[in-house]
Amino acid sequence: MNKRSLLSLSLILAAAAALTFFKVPLAGSQGLTLVAAQVSGDLPLADLDSAVWQQATAIDVPLSAQNVVRPMMLNTNVKSITARALHNGTQLAVLVEWADDTQNDSMVRVQDFRDAAAVQFPLAEGQPFFCMGQQGGNVNIWHWKADWQADITARNDMHTLYPNMYVDQYPFSAAADPIVAAPADYADSNYLPALASGNLFASASRLSSVEDVIAGGFGSLTAQPVEGQNVQGYGVWAEGKWRVIFSRDLESTETEDASFGAGKVYSVAFAVWDGANGERNGQKSVSQWVSLQIEGVAASPAPAAAETKTESVSYEGVLWAVVPMAAMLLAILGLAGLAFLFSKLPNK
Amino acid sequence: MPEVYNWQLGRKMAYVYEEAHPQKQFAAVFNINRCIGCQTCTGTCKATWTFSKGQEAMWWNNVESKPYGGFPQHWDVKILQKLDEAHQAAGKKAEWDTAQTGEAEPYGVYNGMTITEAATPEQQALGYLPPDSEWRAPNFYEDTSTGYKGDNLGISTEGASLPEHQTWFFYLQRLCNHCTYPACAAACPRKAIYKRPEDGIVLIDQARCRGYRKCVEQCPYKKTMYRGTTRTSEKCVACYPRVEGNDPLSDGVPMETRCMAVCPGKIRMNGLVDIAEDGSWAEAPNHPLYHMIKVEKVALPLYPQFGTEPNIYYIPPRWAPRAYLRQMFGPGVDEAIARYVAPSRELLAVLQLFRTTQKMIFRYEIEEGPLVLETEVNGQPWQMYDDTVIGFDAQDREVARLSVVEPIHERPVERLNSI
Ligand code: SF4
Ligand code: SF4
Ligand code: SF4
Repeated sequence: MNKRSLLSLSLILAAAAALTFFKVPLAGSQGLTLVAAQVSGDLPLADLDSAVWQQATAIDVPLSAQNVVRPMMLNTNVKSITARALHNGTQLAVLVEWADDTQNDSMVRVQDFRDAAAVQFPLAEGQPFFCMGQQGGNVNIWHWKADWQADITARNDMHTLYPNMYVDQYPFSAAADPIVAAPADYADSNYLPALASGNLFASASRLSSVEDVIAGGFGSLTAQPVEGQNVQGYGVWAEGKWRVIFSRDLESTETEDASFGAGKVYSVAFAVWDGANGERNGQKSVSQWVSLQIEGVAASPAPAAAETKTESVSYEGVLWAVVPMAAMLLAILGLAGLAFLFSKLPNK
Repeated sequence: MPEVYNWQLGRKMAYVYEEAHPQKQFAAVFNINRCIGCQTCTGTCKATWTFSKGQEAMWWNNVESKPYGGFPQHWDVKILQKLDEAHQAAGKKAEWDTAQTGEAEPYGVYNGMTITEAATPEQQALGYLPPDSEWRAPNFYEDTSTGYKGDNLGISTEGASLPEHQTWFFYLQRLCNHCTYPACAAACPRKAIYKRPEDGIVLIDQARCRGYRKCVEQCPYKKTMYRGTTRTSEKCVACYPRVEGNDPLSDGVPMETRCMAVCPGKIRMNGLVDIAEDGSWAEAPNHPLYHMIKVEKVALPLYPQFGTEPNIYYIPPRWAPRAYLRQMFGPGVDEAIARYVAPSRELLAVLQLFRTTQKMIFRYEIEEGPLVLETEVNGQPWQMYDDTVIGFDAQDREVARLSVVEPIHERPVERLNSI
């Protein structure tokens, strides 16, 4: 690399570090609060049009291109998402919506990249670096993938993308019709080394469209083991728009999972990839941290020692929770005042 | 970006990671002059490693007809064009300074930019992602020669006279170069690609790969390939069970890979060379690869200007235009062809060792024989001796013994017709 680009990269890094340190919002999303509204009964985990979603207040979260490390793409396509959240005391559901002209839900051809979205939660106290955390500041990421969503209905495969293909046989596959051989037809997974090594991408069957992963800085993204995959997803593309629901139990005892409790405030960040634009890995649109407030009354105060790390709330989190609540209180008082005045106006 | 020393370029260059070297390096010499384009190597690799679903268009080994053929199509023309555009944009020239050559800069000093030096913020190395259409028809333009402009049939009566044929093509045998500074590893944002410290073999960790195809995009030789069924990328594994000596046939010593060992044209020699701590090749004058690459410099790296320090070396075809070959193998081409056309007594003996055993040869000895031919090559006197060359495996056991003049056995009259 020449000196100039080295210098500019270090300047960007320094600026990013400074901005992070002083918590200056890059995409102006700090100060936003996503309130997970408390509802009773089942959450609409696979019903995008359910009236229950209307009980949650939607917020628009601005996104900007990841521009700290290579590979970056400064002209990513998605500039904002709309988020809503619900909980019913046992489960949490987050609905993320964004505009996307094309539906990219296959990863079979070499030039195919998927549309995807992720929500991210800190695993430690405070807010680590908003882009995949940092060393000593792990994050839990729920990564929804359009191709995994499509795989649940029918696994994308060579013969679905190349319907006119022909093959005499695939050795060691037990499929009666060789063309439709699926990973599950291989008795010996060594012929699919990614499957043999436990890579979820190669899984013979999809149980969820969301991958539950942890990260502690760039390049460290690691899938949780199969037993730890406990996030569900449901996404539909229609009329130039993706709508995706992420859901999981509010509480989790797994150390690699974020855990939530009613009446508390956490942090959440979002990321979106547009497959048609070749976006993948660090080439993505990301948000800053947004406060996530789980509506309701906190369970009876636990002794401080028993407090889990994810339950600790940053000073800033409290601030961002308190400020909007105070504002809301003032607004309600104002409205009540106005209503009072109106009621005093003479009737016709 | 850290700086690393690339001896093929005779200078330090920018690379994503700090300089670090394996104890041994997987390497090979391919003698282009002898290749018959039979694709036995290609088919053997496929029958060994890539016969499963999702690997249909995956040819870890391929043989393409130059100048038009390429797998994926026009891979080298495309990356050369990108590199050229980067030079033009930067107002630089991709030139070699051949005035200074020495141990640490055998081909001179490359003053242009490598693919890591010409990278954009989007990438660690300059590259592009070939779509599926370009991975199809892997042997397109097979045996297609250039046209001769002097005749409307495209045929020249003196077409086949040396040093340069008027109408020409040659086979280029390709597999992963197990580069010293792999662009695939530089490109991977997850560090899922690694170079083994014991033999320098470059592998993709199938558990960590997330199918980003950054390696497919940035390997200049296009030797990592995407597999749609597993959603991960795969590449040549250098037949590592054989290199490790774990193959049942190998007798506990390193064995040449499948594509090397099957070659009927006897063009390939594969081995492991010792690497010194500073990355230079530890002196081993009696190692056949060291002798051909370092002493005689008769075998050259493919597109050294890319900057990955590839470890497959080629004896260039003696009939192709030199400007084309210099672009492909660097400034050492003229000397390499001169040394191949009129080989030294020792080189001629070493060239006999190709494809005489499946075991890797780590050392050779030469028993001198009589002078059998005196002639002229390119106006210079040249002598041939019937020397005997003996190859030894990793445990210093004799595994090959060949004389320069092939022994002739005459059948007795009564068995003339027996088969
Ligand atoms: S040839 Fe390509 S795939 Fe092989 S090591 Fe070099 S950069 Fe990596
Ligand atoms: S070394 Fe082995 S894996 Fe690599 S191309 Fe040759 S046969 Fe294939
Ligand atoms: S097997 Fe040998 S002769 Fe045949 S194409 Fe391959 S390298 Fe050439």
